[in-house]
Amino acid sequence: MNAAISLEDVRKTLGNREVLKGISFTVAIGDIFGYLGPNGAGKTTTIRILLGLLQANSGNLAIMGQDINRSAIRMRIGFALDPDGLYDNMTAEENLGFYARIYRVSDVGQRIAELLKAVDLSDRAQDKVGTYSKGMRQRLALARAMVHEPEVLVLDEPTAGVDPSGQIEVRQIMLNLAHQKNKTVLLSSHNLDEVQRICNRIALIDRGEIKLYGETDSLRRGMSSGTVVIETASEVPQTILDELKSLPKLGLRENQEKRLIFSPQEGMEVSDIISWLTERRVKIEGAARKEATLEEMYSAMLKEVEQI
Amino acid sequence: MKDIGLITSVSIRNNLRSNIIVAVLIAVVLICAISLVLAFCLLAIAPAMKTEIPDRHTLEMFLSVTIYGACLIGLGINMNVFAQTMMREKSRGNITALLATPLKASHIWTGKSLAVFLPGLVLGEVLGLISLLAVNYIYFVPRIGFLINPWMAISSFVAVPIIYLGLSLLVHIIGLAGKPATANVIVQVFLPVFAALMINLGIRHVLDAASWLFTVANLALSVIIVVIAILLRPRLTRERIVLSC
Repeated sequence: MNAAISLEDVRKTLGNREVLKGISFTVAIGDIFGYLGPNGAGKTTTIRILLGLLQANSGNLAIMGQDINRSAIRMRIGFALDPDGLYDNMTAEENLGFYARIYRVSDVGQRIAELLKAVDLSDRAQDKVGTYSKGMRQRLALARAMVHEPEVLVLDEPTAGVDPSGQIEVRQIMLNLAHQKNKTVLLSSHNLDEVQRICNRIALIDRGEIKLYGETDSLRRGMSSGTVVIETASEVPQTILDELKSLPKLGLRENQEKRLIFSPQEGMEVSDIISWLTERRVKIEGAARKEATLEEMYSAMLKEVEQI
Repeated sequence: MKDIGLITSVSIRNNLRSNIIVAVLIAVVLICAISLVLAFCLLAIAPAMKTEIPDRHTLEMFLSVTIYGACLIGLGINMNVFAQTMMREKSRGNITALLATPLKASHIWTGKSLAVFLPGLVLGEVLGLISLLAVNYIYFVPRIGFLINPWMAISSFVAVPIIYLGLSLLVHIIGLAGKPATANVIVQVFLPVFAALMINLGIRHVLDAASWLFTVANLALSVIIVVIAILLRPRLTRERIVLSC
């Protein structure tokens, strides 16, 4: 795998607290990599280290194979942070122009026009950014991240606080960047649905440790192998539900009207659950193994951590 | 240098974009400067000019304090108004975003300091010059000729700006690497304390405002402030700035 970003046993202590406890992951070139975790997990610290804003206490970090402490590497990284850091009193054109000059972009005018068109802000180019909606600001922040055509984009909560239609627009821009322009995107987000939709690889971090890491689809498949969904013709009587709850081997997890969700113990098959229910005259209309959603994976990870 | 120039010009444009702030700044500076000049003219210069042979040195001293005060007001009030932009820029992520670019932290510091200092320099020098010309042509030229000595000019037009350049560097390094609120307090307190001290020393003949000693005292203070700012320079790391945001 050609690594765009690689972190190996990265540790960071802030004050007396060890914020990152030896995290390691790799983001391949062209990946849209989802970086998930609850507040205080260490996401922002990781992003700040990647952008050279904080120094890791130990560990190896590289972006496009180069040490991140070399200032030249900043020319190859684009970023959108939260808060966005745009100047409210300046227009979109002026904001982009400022960053284009910082990155020594040639033909600034043409580049700005292209970017504003790409994020659909050409008609508001002369308006002060202070008058923009949150969604427009985030689109402009993405344009700023792209102003010097970096190979790697680090995006921290790019859809936070954006309305659903704005989220779709921002998401589409991210997908275009990754797929059409072959950029590598590291996306930190709380929006699990968004990550599930667009990220091909993910890492879940909690309390400074990577708890889950890999390809989104294979992780979902791996996690869902034990989840069984049974559709019933009518609501299951309470007495049967009570009996089910007392049988941990069947692992009833949820009861949603005419749907029962099980996480059976090892050795139990779907047929065992069906037999048990039919013996009690429960009419079954369907049975299937279910793929876990990212939300379920996330909850499971957090539960595990709480139990520890 | 190119980066510093870019940050300075963009920050000045951004600071001066708010029409309300600019209008308030100009109004306050004009009111304070006119009040100060009028007070000195009516309470000190006019009575001194009523004598048959006005004492040239006393008049030079009063003129020096008047010009000095006008320059201080221009530079000081400007800094009081714009030094707070650091707090806003830190909370809105502007500084963090700049630090994630190839810009050096020291360039951001210098650029931001100059962006606050330069408009004040223009204001202070213009007010000082207008005061010098106005007092001379209203009071002195008709009777004793144009009054100016090199020490008063250096104190007002060189030492005061250097003091404020040093102060701008100092409060920006404190604001960037530490708490902007602390920097704001220093700026807010500095103008009244420093102005009251120096003007009192000048008019009470402790430090003759038209003498070389007054100039040296001002230059010494400016050097002290600049040296403190330079000594704090090692604290200006990306990590320290980001963690203080």
